[in-house]
Amino acid sequence: MTHDLQLELRTDPRLLASVRALVGEWLAGFGLDEDVEHSVVLAIDEACSNCIRHAYGGSGDCYARLTMRATPEHLEFEISDEGTPCRTDKTERRPLEIPHPDEVKPGGLGIQLMHRVFDEVRFEPGDTRGNRITLKLRRQR
Amino acid sequence: MAVDIRSKTDNGTTVIEVAGTVDLYSAPDLRSSLLDAVPKASDGVVVDLREVSYMDSSGVAVLVEGLRSARSNDTRLVLREPSRPVMKVLELAKLDELFDIEAA
Repeated sequence: MTHDLQLELRTDPRLLASVRALVGEWLAGFGLDEDVEHSVVLAIDEACSNCIRHAYGGSGDCYARLTMRATPEHLEFEISDEGTPCRTDKTERRPLEIPHPDEVKPGGLGIQLMHRVFDEVRFEPGDTRGNRITLKLRRQR
Repeated sequence: MAVDIRSKTDNGTTVIEVAGTVDLYSAPDLRSSLLDAVPKASDGVVVDLREVSYMDSSGVAVLVEGLRSARSNDTRLVLREPSRPVMKVLELAKLDELFDIEAA
């Protein structure tokens, strides 16, 4: 039996609540700790929000694809779009320190949250255009 | 309704009660209430986060912007009893120590 799931998502921020509900439901079958489950839902939401804001500049009429896949080692998520390519200097993991409020750059926060939640985070160009984000969580924690 | 925001001012302190989810869709509502309240509240703004069931970095960014505005207006911003999902995202972002947090 396979648990893989692939969704076409319209890039409308109103739909993020439904995406979170669905990801949460999909995750429920894997016996994760409740806190981890919440963090994974958050990080997927961040990836989708990022796609809406940056790849599509806030336009609600585009589509992105979310794939959720369970392998023996990992739960894998892939978010792909055909929008504007991410700037690679924005997608690296960077240290989070207790900052001065003037130095907080909330724009990149979502990406840093993804790095904190997942064991592997990869940003790459899509097959023909756009972006592909791959997020992997080890099942044995 | 994704988020419900109620503001009331008493003796110069404005309390903004937030209930529901704060994400990319609803964060602009919180942003306008907060940035509207901060310059007017002579004795600071309290953001009551007890009833927030979900918050992502869009919500965190609004709180940081509120804090900046409070500092530049020489007033204070307090987060009242952040719910578990709010604390979780603040901790993940390592921003929990940036804020003045009023615990339960």
